[in-house]
Amino acid sequence: MSTLLPFHKAILEEIHDPATSDLLVLARGLGLRRVVCSLLQIYDSPKSLVLLVNATTEEETAIGEELSIHGITALYKGGGLIMVTSRILVVDMLTGDIPIKLISGILVLNAEKVTPLVLESFVIRLLREKNTNAFVKAFTDQPEHITSGLSPLKNIMKELRIRRVHIYPRFHETIKKSLERRKADVVELSQGMTESMADIHHAIIQCMTATLAELKRSNTSLDLDDLTVENAYFKSFSVIVRKQLDPTKQLVSDLATLRNLLYYLLTYDAFEFNGYLDNLIESNTVTASGGAKVNQSPWTMTDAAHVIFDTGRRRCFTLSSTSKTLPTVIDVDEDEDAWEALNEAQGIQVDAKGKSVASRPGWLPSTVDPVLEELPKWELLTDVLQEIEEETVRIESMKKPPPILGSNTVLIMASSTRTCNLIKDFLATYDPNGKKGAKGRTMMMRRLRLYLWWKGKLVERKEQGRGSFAMPSGSSIRDAKKQSETDISEALQKKDREKAERNKSRRRMRGGAPASSDSRPTQPTPEANSGKVEEAVLAEFFATQATAESGLTPFDIANVNSAALDFGSQLLESEFNDHYGLVAPEETVLIRAYSDDSDDRILAELQPRFIVMYEPNMEFIRRIEVYRSSHPGLGVRVYHMVYGNSCEEHQYLAGIRKEKDSFERLIKERGSMLLPIIEEKREGAGYSEDTVKTISSRYAGGRRELNTEPSKVIVDLREFRSSLPSLLHAANNLVVPATLTVGDYIVTPDICVERKSIPDLMSSFNSGRLYTQCEIMSVHYKHPVLLIEFEEDKAFSLDTIGEMKSYAKPTGKYPPKKKPGEQAQGNSPAYSSIALQSKIVLLTLSFPRLRIIWSSSPFATAEIFNDLKRNNPEPDHIKAVATGADDDPDVGAGVNTSAEELLRCLPGITPKNVKYVMSKVRNLRELCEMDVMGLQDLLGVEPGKACWEFIHKGEGK
Amino acid sequence: MASTPTTSSAPAPPVVFPTFRNNVIINPVQRGNPLIECIRNVGKEFGDIPADYQVGRTTGLLFLSLKYHRLHPEYIHQRIEKLGRSYNLRILLILCDVTEHKDTIRELTKTCLVNTITIIVAWSNDEAGHYISCFKQFEHKSPDLIKERTEKDYHSVLRTALTSISKVNKTDVETLRSSFGSFAKISQASTDQLQNLPGFGQVKVKNVKSAFEKPFRNNA
Repeated sequence: MSTLLPFHKAILEEIHDPATSDLLVLARGLGLRRVVCSLLQIYDSPKSLVLLVNATTEEETAIGEELSIHGITALYKGGGLIMVTSRILVVDMLTGDIPIKLISGILVLNAEKVTPLVLESFVIRLLREKNTNAFVKAFTDQPEHITSGLSPLKNIMKELRIRRVHIYPRFHETIKKSLERRKADVVELSQGMTESMADIHHAIIQCMTATLAELKRSNTSLDLDDLTVENAYFKSFSVIVRKQLDPTKQLVSDLATLRNLLYYLLTYDAFEFNGYLDNLIESNTVTASGGAKVNQSPWTMTDAAHVIFDTGRRRCFTLSSTSKTLPTVIDVDEDEDAWEALNEAQGIQVDAKGKSVASRPGWLPSTVDPVLEELPKWELLTDVLQEIEEETVRIESMKKPPPILGSNTVLIMASSTRTCNLIKDFLATYDPNGKKGAKGRTMMMRRLRLYLWWKGKLVERKEQGRGSFAMPSGSSIRDAKKQSETDISEALQKKDREKAERNKSRRRMRGGAPASSDSRPTQPTPEANSGKVEEAVLAEFFATQATAESGLTPFDIANVNSAALDFGSQLLESEFNDHYGLVAPEETVLIRAYSDDSDDRILAELQPRFIVMYEPNMEFIRRIEVYRSSHPGLGVRVYHMVYGNSCEEHQYLAGIRKEKDSFERLIKERGSMLLPIIEEKREGAGYSEDTVKTISSRYAGGRRELNTEPSKVIVDLREFRSSLPSLLHAANNLVVPATLTVGDYIVTPDICVERKSIPDLMSSFNSGRLYTQCEIMSVHYKHPVLLIEFEEDKAFSLDTIGEMKSYAKPTGKYPPKKKPGEQAQGNSPAYSSIALQSKIVLLTLSFPRLRIIWSSSPFATAEIFNDLKRNNPEPDHIKAVATGADDDPDVGAGVNTSAEELLRCLPGITPKNVKYVMSKVRNLRELCEMDVMGLQDLLGVEPGKACWEFIHKGEGK
Repeated sequence: MASTPTTSSAPAPPVVFPTFRNNVIINPVQRGNPLIECIRNVGKEFGDIPADYQVGRTTGLLFLSLKYHRLHPEYIHQRIEKLGRSYNLRILLILCDVTEHKDTIRELTKTCLVNTITIIVAWSNDEAGHYISCFKQFEHKSPDLIKERTEKDYHSVLRTALTSISKVNKTDVETLRSSFGSFAKISQASTDQLQNLPGFGQVKVKNVKSAFEKPFRNNA
């Protein structure tokens, strides 16, 4: 573990005391995980039982690695540190599987997410009921999340029953002192956008402003202060707006689209961007069924949108009417070489094109003039790398080189793995001697080809009447290649690819370049075992000679003759170590995407001296500060790249400001906060003031008899994802977790409730599952109830008036009297247009016994349940579990719900056989790999065939 | 199901049959209710019935505006009492036109459960009218519409199937289909391949992968 800085120690001293409960708010990037891990180490002893909850899966693995904590598999009784998901913990606490009295403390990560509705507050409530001595330590590094609403900090503290809060912003005295002793050497590089990029950028901003104005106009009740373009840069914006109003989804999602566009403009290359635009137009103008769409997004109609689409295309290529255009912009010599090499690799397959006059590749339609604008940052990046190289050489050539700490590895950080791939691609192929703005010509040409190929395919597809629109298959040309050659079997291709990978290295070696290989496992591999999808890529950039050649490799991969490769791989085995040993660190460039606290470990392990921040990121700058301060004597140079005057810059600055503001607000709130009084523990639920709810009516005159049995609700295990169980418990009910086959909640022996949130309701109407569920409930219970639950902060209404109007008359489509045949076929096309209301009507008509509870929030539901329970006997746990469960052998087994959902949607799978299939087949992939016979054995002849045909439709020709 | 049980369960009060089969019979007490204007696409006639609206031979509907209920809380109980045991399907159509609806609805929920009445909540006269005409029109309709369906075209099945994975939207379905070709190919896609698709972030990729590859039962 890395060393702790003075401020880390100060924080630990403040909060480590197991006798108190604390909330820690730390600025992002300052190593919260380090603090948590040290704290866990302090508490680790077999005598104590410490639980860690609310960690994301990534955090769990990362922390687990650092401290070797056991997951939930370890027995609670063994003591020590245990990580557990809240859902499981709640169930265990309720069923008494965990000795609550023995818990010595609970650590809650991501405390900013705690509200009365989440499971963590349920956990804490359950803990406090029986155990007042245990400590609760909560952590968060997202101060921005704790600022909306009235006294948010207090609410969190109230839910967690914590009375002390520690706030450590970046500008905290101790942190300042420890970090600013030594400042990192930061080179700020502000790169201007190209003219067309600036045009698009401007146009997008215009569209955003227009959309915002529209939003404000149509919703006068909105809190207008929050609605600014600046806020719209952030993802949280959609959340703000949705909180205020649900209905205007279209406009809000438009804003999200525009925000994405801004981001893509700066990070995608011209072709991907254009491809995305194409796709956007398609999906905006055409409905799923292929007809023209009626409600287009308003911004697409504006002039600015036209500028976006137009300029977007012009960045890639221009279309000219005559084929006789002046020689293309392509640098002749360089390209000739490139295509020659390509031909050599591809053999006869593409013989004609290399010789084409004016160096126009044969695949390029004569009307297309490539423009191939490159992102300006690429150019900048090559300059930076050049400088770094010179710097290293300079230091090494000094007569008495000073003792240098750290490695010469260059670390490039970008915002997404996608950008990483792009940079990697560029660095592997760029031409250092190319003209300004045309260094990545080889790559861009390849992308142009891919783009044209994709377009061609699209047209083909349209002609075939499939009426669908493909998206560009992304940056990976390999995928595209693979698609085009579907006749090659999957396995063979995989083999091919592996070999080609190795072959690629071989070629480079032949080219006299320093041995460096893409396939070599990177030496710092925490990301590999952390299971995260990260791309750590080594790209050698010194071997400039080999670039032209290696740049082509992705192209020939699929075509390389495998015989030649066999020879290659043999050679490889024997000489591997000579040529493919570890590469000296100064020759490697590591490209990574920003992630969370695990970046700290990367820095600590790599110890790079040169870091290029391809995109600005506040957290990472802090990480570098921490990294630098914890490695005294290490000179770090950081190159910080920003597109000047772009949303990137604004977003970065606004982000910093936002964080600062929210810290200030938190500090202010802490100053003026009335500390919540933590209510006294209740011994056992159901005995407090409300106990006398079951009044025996046999005694007249209000004589009350205490019912000794606590009021009880049986809840399905799957329902613990929702907030209702927690609220039921808060309303003095004993919550009994069980695996129910019928219904979600058993309130009394007669009342069985199926809970549906609105999205849930729609989807289960669509899938028909609700009908089946109601059918089963009606069979087993006297009062089957459908609970339609609206969300707490959303409007209590099914549809807005605006949307109502559109179907004020749809019923005309369904005149009551119609010939039966006509009616049947009339169902499917207009199906989607039938409103939810009609379906509810149909449901009540089908199940006259079904009652519906309309609940405006989970809180209201809890009250209604209590109401229903009054004067009624308590439900029986064992009976509820047994109800309807006779046909399923696996009752109570854990179920992969999303896979089950997906499976149910497949043709040939019916509610009757779905359980059977799940018990016979391991997972969906296995199902997809089965042949016709196998499926027919499983499902029956007809359904099996239908299923197989569905699964394999679209393969081959 | 119970959509057309033409037999017994006949209510005690005289059964009123509409002059035309497609007419909704309206209790004269409802005269002047703006709701009547909003009942479209079905015929209307007045008749002496125990419910407010008779929308089918065995379906009776009471209407209650919460605003009115606040002024005359006893009214609805009298009506329910008068309804007795008539009708097979009994509906209380609530027009939610107040902001403080929580307690009232809770109360009514309990009352209706005891009296075997199903509550439907509408938020505007238009919506309420829509409900009434729906009930009438769907009187003899089979519930196929909300049952699980089998025959559908390839694209919509694929779409429903894949969008059942959380975070996957329609565009993503197209992306998947056009990049991999078939369902089977999608199921075999590697994390890297998925990651390279436009619009696919880590979470989405993880969801897709776990839907396809995590075992159905984890005790297997």
